[in-house]
Amino acid sequence: MKKYKNPVGVSRFTGLFLISPFIIGSVLFIIYPFFCSFVTGMTKYDGIHPPEFIGLTNYKNMLQDKHFLKALGVTFRYTIIFVPLKLMVSLLTAVLLSANIKGMGFFRTAFYVPSILGSNLAVAIMWQYLFTRGGLVNQFLEIFGISGVSWYGDQKLSLFIIILLRLWEFGSTMIIFLTSLKEIPREYYEASKVDGCSSFRAFFSITLPLLKNTLFVNAVLQTISALQEFSAPYMITGGNPMKSTYTVGMLIYDEMFSYHNAGYANAVSWVLFVVTSVVVCIMFRITGRIRKELP
Amino acid sequence: MKKFLVPFVCTLTLFSCSAETTKKTPPDNRLDKCTLRFSWWGGDDRHNATMKAITLWNARHPSIEIKAEYGGWDGWTEKINTQISGGSQPDIMQINYDWLVTLSSDGQGFYNLNELDHFLDLSGFSEDILSFGMVNNHLNAVPVSLTGRGFFYNSEVFERLGVSFPETWDELIETGNIFYQNGCYPLDLDVQSGGTAWYLSVVYVQQKTGKNFINMDGTLGFTIEDIEEVMEFYKLMEDNHVTRNVRTRIDEDGNGALYQSPSFIDGNVAGVLEWNSAVGKYESVLDKGVLKAGGYLSDENGNNSGWFVKPSLMYAISAETKYPDESAEFINFLLNDDDCAEILGTSRGIPASRYAFEELEKNGKLKGLTKENSDMLGKLDTVTISPYMETTRMKELCNSAIEKVSYGENISITAQELYNDIIEYLESVE
Repeated sequence: MKKYKNPVGVSRFTGLFLISPFIIGSVLFIIYPFFCSFVTGMTKYDGIHPPEFIGLTNYKNMLQDKHFLKALGVTFRYTIIFVPLKLMVSLLTAVLLSANIKGMGFFRTAFYVPSILGSNLAVAIMWQYLFTRGGLVNQFLEIFGISGVSWYGDQKLSLFIIILLRLWEFGSTMIIFLTSLKEIPREYYEASKVDGCSSFRAFFSITLPLLKNTLFVNAVLQTISALQEFSAPYMITGGNPMKSTYTVGMLIYDEMFSYHNAGYANAVSWVLFVVTSVVVCIMFRITGRIRKELP
Repeated sequence: MKKFLVPFVCTLTLFSCSAETTKKTPPDNRLDKCTLRFSWWGGDDRHNATMKAITLWNARHPSIEIKAEYGGWDGWTEKINTQISGGSQPDIMQINYDWLVTLSSDGQGFYNLNELDHFLDLSGFSEDILSFGMVNNHLNAVPVSLTGRGFFYNSEVFERLGVSFPETWDELIETGNIFYQNGCYPLDLDVQSGGTAWYLSVVYVQQKTGKNFINMDGTLGFTIEDIEEVMEFYKLMEDNHVTRNVRTRIDEDGNGALYQSPSFIDGNVAGVLEWNSAVGKYESVLDKGVLKAGGYLSDENGNNSGWFVKPSLMYAISAETKYPDESAEFINFLLNDDDCAEILGTSRGIPASRYAFEELEKNGKLKGLTKENSDMLGKLDTVTISPYMETTRMKELCNSAIEKVSYGENISITAQELYNDIIEYLESVE
């Protein structure tokens, strides 16, 4: 048998050398900005003149900043409504698409396409016109006798425009569920059928318990992205009306790029980082025992 | 503790180093081969004219290539702020008036154009005009033109309804009611990037009281009562259907620009309060000759004071450019060259440069909505807008307050809150 020689050669630095692009990239573009951001958060800095060290003043100001507190409230409301909805929609679609029916590949692709598009400008413009007073959504609702829904103008409804856009992009979450569904042995369902178990009961007694880890991973991923939401409200509603769709991500952007308040923007970024970490830790803590239990 | 202290100090040192400003390149009074970046914002009419001017420049100066960076107004300030913070700004920039306050409060944010008189001829500008670009005795920018917001109406809709353009505030209110009976509105006022709802209401109170909303030195000229009156007048306009309320407006147009909205294009909203230097984008979406300039509103005694005027746009050179002479030569071309003036026309307003103005006048190019409005503005007792009123933060504060009023919040409380916010903001800027 022919022996292949390692072309790089093996020394104690070989491994380090091979992963050096990643290490250099991480240091330059993740670790350095990460620490810089923390230091900037303790300065008064407009991005133009040299920064002035002010300690924890930005953090103290945050506690009295009504815009920050409102944005935090909006972000939490959005996360609490959006994450369970997205998990439900993704899971139910994945269950439907896991059936062995001819042509199912087409539907899987069709449902995944919106995730690839993301909330780019073209989608945002399309979304804008869908929900205006004379838009397609209202025209459709008129068929059922519901007329003139104020999607943009109503403070309670405007957040749903963003939620619906993000729900529409459920493809990635659905694919993760679909993969896990495929791993559940068919025998479980066959045995339950023999015992007279309905499909509905099988879903709650077999599918859900066996998907709990996937469900948790998706919940964590969606929570993190929901807490950082920026692009969809920025492009579609601009945070309006009355700041009812103004998220912490938008506040950071405005403070940084519109108001020349880089110090404060970085301090808010750190608070968002800590809040996200705490929320995820709580999720781990609450679900810890359930996840460890065998089904 | 030491574990945390070392990386913290290292980061602080690195951060301080990165925050240092780079060295300025002094002028050498000669033109070298180079590529310059020039950025501006505007509508399609301005983009087309400027691209033609750049083509002419590139033909005349093959060794100095100009690369264009342009787009719409929305998000443009943020883009330039980011570029300046990162030291990657273009060599030559079209800047807005308030950027002198936010980006160059000490006069060091842009190149001192007085140092570039070898290539930049400013003899065509009056001292008054140039004073708009002075910060801390540094000429940071040259005004391209002076402008003010004026009324531009869809004449077809007014003719169809048999209504003439309003001349007084009372007539404006009456017009609103007539239009409403026909299912449309005579004017659009927004609480977004334009902030025309606040602008028009402030003009009304300025005309009535003779006070300035914000003085040139950055102090607040209005009292709480004046601010309350601004809000009450806005509410009066809404209640009399002069303009759509905020809710109806965003329901109909979403977050989009008015000139791209069906409401404006179809004539359901038949007027706009726009800078005379930027009206082209509204004109181009309607049939030729449909958009017409309306007069500035006065009170019942004919008092037409209180209307604002400001430099529409300014040209500035980056403080960090490596090619100050070449940049100055290009600005000189844009401002003073006869052929360039003819190409650019009034796409940036009526030129402030005497040479460009004379060239356009000689060739009969000083016409159209911009000129008509500019002539009307010239006859008024105008107020120079304070750059502090133009900053993004100030606009956001005022727009939010108008939005609250439109959504039915108490005017007295909103006025008090806005007054406190403005005072706090102006103090923080100082």
